[in-house]
Amino acid sequence: MIETDNRNIADKISALGKIDILVGIPSYNSAKTIVHVVKAVEAGLAKYFPQCRSLLVNSDGGSSDGTMDAVRNTNLDLSSILINRKPDQFRKFVTPYHGIPGKGSAFRTIFEIARDLNARACAVVDSDLRSITPEWIELLIKPVLEENYDYVSPYYMRHKYDGTITNSIVYPLTRALYGKRIRQPIGGDFGFSGKLASFYLTKDVWETDVARFGIDIWMTTTAVANGFKICQAFLGAKIHDAKDPGSDLSAMLHQVVSSVFSLMEEYAGVWQGVSQSEPVQTFGFVYSVGLEPIHVNLDNMIDKFRLGVKDLAALYESFLPQGICDDLHVLAEKPKENFSFPDRDWVWVVFYFALACHRRLMNTEHIIKSLTPLYLGKVASFVIETWDSTAEEVEERLEEICLSFEREKPAFVEVWKKEP
Amino acid sequence: MENLLEKIITEPLKDFLYKLAHFFPNLLSALIVFTIGILLAWVVKVIILKLFRILKLDALCARMGAAETLQKLAVKDPPEKLIGRFFYWLTVMIFFIVALYLLELPAIERLLENLLLYLPNVLIAAVILVFGVIFGNFLGRATLIASVNAGIVFAGFLCRAIKTIIILFAFVMAMEQLGIARSTVLAAFTILFGGLVFALSLAFGLGGKDLARKYLEQRFKTDKGDKDNEIRHI
Repeated sequence: MIETDNRNIADKISALGKIDILVGIPSYNSAKTIVHVVKAVEAGLAKYFPQCRSLLVNSDGGSSDGTMDAVRNTNLDLSSILINRKPDQFRKFVTPYHGIPGKGSAFRTIFEIARDLNARACAVVDSDLRSITPEWIELLIKPVLEENYDYVSPYYMRHKYDGTITNSIVYPLTRALYGKRIRQPIGGDFGFSGKLASFYLTKDVWETDVARFGIDIWMTTTAVANGFKICQAFLGAKIHDAKDPGSDLSAMLHQVVSSVFSLMEEYAGVWQGVSQSEPVQTFGFVYSVGLEPIHVNLDNMIDKFRLGVKDLAALYESFLPQGICDDLHVLAEKPKENFSFPDRDWVWVVFYFALACHRRLMNTEHIIKSLTPLYLGKVASFVIETWDSTAEEVEERLEEICLSFEREKPAFVEVWKKEP
Repeated sequence: MENLLEKIITEPLKDFLYKLAHFFPNLLSALIVFTIGILLAWVVKVIILKLFRILKLDALCARMGAAETLQKLAVKDPPEKLIGRFFYWLTVMIFFIVALYLLELPAIERLLENLLLYLPNVLIAAVILVFGVIFGNFLGRATLIASVNAGIVFAGFLCRAIKTIIILFAFVMAMEQLGIARSTVLAAFTILFGGLVFALSLAFGLGGKDLARKYLEQRFKTDKGDKDNEIRHI
């Protein structure tokens, strides 16, 4: 039963009986943006699942800007979206969540409600989405409801230089480790079955960093590593109020990469037995966005790479092989025109950083934050290589990086198993 | 004459022989205790080294930067060997003190009393120094990584400065604990630290204002460079 000190809330949830679909929206001070999201969710449920008993749950982290009231007071004019029949099975439920402040705790509350109400299909969407449409609900829910998938990962169309942490680390690494080509494993908006929601609740992670910032990659990895049926859904562009700590890249990198590395510890037995990757079913009509130019300060990135290689040399030498350290020094000497970070070196940098965390050679936060200059070097190299490339050509280039990770994985498994 | 000879030679000789005869058993006991102490110290050293390996404390020392610090101090032995040696000599010293007590010599007893009263200060000073070095290493490394990630070109200097200041703090606190040249050390530290801060203030405020302006321009330009980057990393 949902853990709550408020008997009234528990009673209200019980009174809802069983439901077919649950859509959860975690929030914190999102009053300006959540109204649009709530309307899109309601429209999607009315348009594509009018016969199903649906519940929208807003799991709030104690907002002070009236977010919860905004959700309660939102009413959608169904006639404006050409729906004549008024569905009477849509409910809204607004509740604060309990636990450590963070998206993970908000999700936990949503999972608990889904379990208690025996929801068949669930979805979670961010509260600051500006590009969400009713079709997102169809794409996240239908594969679960009608095709018996357990997990629907989002697939957004992004600019070729967006999501560089995902493109250079998370996607190729999780693909090589767990054998599923989930293009955007930390997307933020997911669909999942009630069965999977109950499974998530059996894991004791709600007092850890998963609850704070690691919930997205945790959900994806847990579903893949435990053999659930996975697919992805093309949702188009994701436009939202980016709250990512872009001013502190190293903090962002630490949050994402530390989550990936700690999951490697938990599922070592799983990924060591995976030998190759396979594609996952993709739903939705895939299209490309226009390639509007963006400004990239290559000099800044390369300078930070050079500074890192020079000042952190002693630190890198304590856990990177000498060959890679030498290659980094050679690369740091190269001019911008010839600046190219070899894929194989990058793969082994990531692998050895994972190994350093696994062997606890020093404080984990220090290890991962020291990856920042090398990551910037790889991004700069990637930008230089693909500046004139189309989106498709960039995907082909990313595919080469992924294949490098998969090629080197057997050797990495041997090194991981060896005692230091 | 015979009485005189007895008083000057015979009686003192008898007295000496009596004291010697009384001392010999004590000496024997002391030697036996000391020998047992040496054997026990060897056993303690072996146990400590085995415990180190079982608990993987060598990895912990590497994480704390202890091995790296020892290398810089040109100490070739790894931390586990040094700790084993420390406990060996600690055990030997304890049994040596016990052995000395068994000799029942008042002068030695007074000396040992003073030594035992001073020993806790030595231990506390050692602990302060060890923690100072560990904390200095940790904070120095954190500063280095944060400075490099922020694009500060003198990150290495900043790291060394932080490390040095913290270790110097620890050294002064240890000296104060030991009561060695207390006022001299404190005065020297205050003058050095205060002078350093004052000099830096003057350098940035007056003498190095062009350099300071250049640094701030570069800093803002670096920040602007970050803001000019329209890449969204996540």
